[in-house]
Amino acid sequence: MDLATYVNAMRDPAGLPFYPSIFQFLLVLTFALHITMVNLVVGSTFVAIWETWKRNEYGLRLSKALGRVITVGMSIAIVLGVAPLLFVQVIYDPFWYTATTLSAFWALMFLVVITLAFYAGYGFYLGNKKAEVMEAKTGWAWVAGGLLLLTALFIHMLSMEQLMPQHWKEWIVSAQGTVSYAGGEFHGIEFGRLLHFLLPSFAVTGVFLMLYSSYFKDREDYDQAYLKYVGEKGAWLALWASILAIGAGFWWLGLIPSEFHFARNPFFLIGAVVGVATTAFIGSSVYKPQEKAIPAAILMFVSIFIMCCAREALRMKHMSQAGYSIYNYPVNADWPSTILFFATFVMGLFVLYFPAIAAYQAGKVKAGEVAIIDPSIGRKAVSAMIGWFVIVAGLGIVISLKNGTLF
Amino acid sequence: MYPFWEVPFFTSGLVIALIATFHILPCHLATGAFWFTVYVERKAYKENRPELLEFVKKYSLLILIFCFVIGSLSGVGIWYAATVASPRGISSLIHNYVWGWATEWVFFIIEIASIYVYYYTLGKIDAKSHLMMGWLYAWAAWISMIIITGILAFMLSSGKWVETGGFFDGFFNETYWPQLFTRTAFMFGIAGVYAAIIASTIKNRQVRRELITTAGLWGVVGMVAGVLFAGWYLYKLPIHAKELWLDETLPYLGHLINIAGIAYGVVLMWFVICCLIKPRMVGPVSGILVLLVLFMGIGAGEGFREGIRRPFIIDQYMYGNQIVARDIPAKHIKAEIPIFNKDGFLNHLYFRPDKVDPNNQIDLLHAGDVIVHNQCGNCHALDRFGKMRPLPDLLANFSPESPEDIEGLLESLGDYPYMPPFAGNELDMKAASEYLFSITRR
Repeated sequence: MDLATYVNAMRDPAGLPFYPSIFQFLLVLTFALHITMVNLVVGSTFVAIWETWKRNEYGLRLSKALGRVITVGMSIAIVLGVAPLLFVQVIYDPFWYTATTLSAFWALMFLVVITLAFYAGYGFYLGNKKAEVMEAKTGWAWVAGGLLLLTALFIHMLSMEQLMPQHWKEWIVSAQGTVSYAGGEFHGIEFGRLLHFLLPSFAVTGVFLMLYSSYFKDREDYDQAYLKYVGEKGAWLALWASILAIGAGFWWLGLIPSEFHFARNPFFLIGAVVGVATTAFIGSSVYKPQEKAIPAAILMFVSIFIMCCAREALRMKHMSQAGYSIYNYPVNADWPSTILFFATFVMGLFVLYFPAIAAYQAGKVKAGEVAIIDPSIGRKAVSAMIGWFVIVAGLGIVISLKNGTLF
Repeated sequence: MYPFWEVPFFTSGLVIALIATFHILPCHLATGAFWFTVYVERKAYKENRPELLEFVKKYSLLILIFCFVIGSLSGVGIWYAATVASPRGISSLIHNYVWGWATEWVFFIIEIASIYVYYYTLGKIDAKSHLMMGWLYAWAAWISMIIITGILAFMLSSGKWVETGGFFDGFFNETYWPQLFTRTAFMFGIAGVYAAIIASTIKNRQVRRELITTAGLWGVVGMVAGVLFAGWYLYKLPIHAKELWLDETLPYLGHLINIAGIAYGVVLMWFVICCLIKPRMVGPVSGILVLLVLFMGIGAGEGFREGIRRPFIIDQYMYGNQIVARDIPAKHIKAEIPIFNKDGFLNHLYFRPDKVDPNNQIDLLHAGDVIVHNQCGNCHALDRFGKMRPLPDLLANFSPESPEDIEGLLESLGDYPYMPPFAGNELDMKAASEYLFSITRR
């Protein structure tokens, strides 16, 4: 059996329940959301350490604020990560499952390490929450930061192994005919690529600090000098990190097989242009970080999204070398479940407006005051949930009665 | 087949079982806890008793730190463990239920947004909106259970799906409703345990006593309702599953259900005695002990659920060794046993020795090693001192004197109601027998 036969034979016999391009779009979109949040967590951890180290009042205050960002951000990053993890298994299943099984031990170690990183993040946040301003400690943040880098290395390795199908067999089948079942393979580290994922952490965190500064500027109980410090720090951080990320991007480009001619790929070209434009815009905002925070954030996300598209285009190039294309994956379209997801997705956006507006307004009032939220917003959100339940439960009862599975 | 991952002594299946058992406590707490929290918060506003809000804050923090660290990561952990232990099994579930999982993901996002806003805005937004945020979380969490139960139940009873291939036909299968009701009742029980433990740390004596008693009542109602629904669940099990259990084809299933039942009873008694009659007895020590009992009961219950599925990992569709068991015409899926019997199992493997000379003993052992790992290794340890149905010991019971004796056993595998048939041609069987015989001699 050759490689192309293997990867195509290993596609799931059930086929796809909808068209591959839809899954591909969802994969890229949800990965962009996930990696943005991962970047924020990683960047916040190291910025918190740096700011504590300097031991000035504003730095320590910022460091404590970032403690909360690390824990909340990590939760959100994990939940957001579920979606790309799901969609990659749908359309790239032969690659995902093979690479993960070959490195099964490391895949499970990833979970152990991320759990420890999470608790270390909580250790940093809760440990400093009640401490005096000048007493912030960074021990747990160091632990969290180190563990986060380790998880980045594991995930990078698992991604890279998927792109190296031509080596899979030689890793575990010896010339004598013995096969290894240890699941301990660890291959394919490319520091250019890894850095191109890590350096944007500081750019994203920098833009976040600009948003933070902009968001609290109307609060009378906030020290405006502190907000200015945070905003400018964020803009400079975002600028330098973006420049370095562009450099790492070109390093990565140099590592890509020349036969791909990836420098001429439209997604790469658009990504490079948008990345440079974003960097230039951030450069223009270093003295007005509060005013330019929102457009900088939008541009930053657009850059990340296009980079994710370019990454997807690169993955397709690699996989086409193994004779694999998602576009000829057999499709057994299942319209009812497809409608269920997209209808729920739209409803979810509607429902999420409630926590979003509540969080926004709660942060806008002075400490000790209470924000009043329009009661109809919460009522509508909860009603939408109950409506979803009634429709699906009703559908379930009808189907169960029809199929004779209820009693 | 994908590369095989072997966990010495324990098997990879046990790794999934451990993570899954560990996942159930935080995930059922996450789904059940907020109904209780919202109840207490509502009471606090309605009766103008702000002292109750201390509990609300503490309980929410527990849910954040426990459920959204351990719960969410062990949830992803099950996925990873299933990926490395049974990649074709999880792939089958995903390719049939990707939109179900994606729908659940939307509710995960709502959960995470609403719980953080709930925790951090207590006293910072108006009471009505805060309460509504609690309701939002409670509904989102329970709906995520409504969805995942469909996929879990599908693995046990695949319903009309085998005929139609339809998402909802598999989702709303025979054991869906009883499982949903049992899990729903049970989630109130688990929420009651944690609520009582947290309530025991409240400083105000009267509030502490009141909340422990209330948690105890929730727990008792949850556990009693759970027993009733569990009876319905057991009644609705597929005939094949009932036979494995009630005919004592697999006696360990009876032991597991007994352990689960005893654990259930102990927790119920804890609610009655410690929470309702002597609330002073509730504290971190007795709470942790009852959690350990719960953990054991859940482990036994999950082990039972896994056991009665045998020989399938997905009812009627896929065997435990990840081989497709039957045609599903609606999905253009073909049973694989006839294909492997005709073409040879080895010829469908990519990760295998390149050449197998049927007359070369070493070649046969290498080939047999690959075949046995792929066809047996999911459920059986292959080590002499393996803890999970170790094949060397099981084969020793038949006292084989030659590989041919084992060939006879392999030919009759399909006659055992809990075993998949051997898949492969004569060469595969010869190689597997040589290898299996060799491990009985180690």
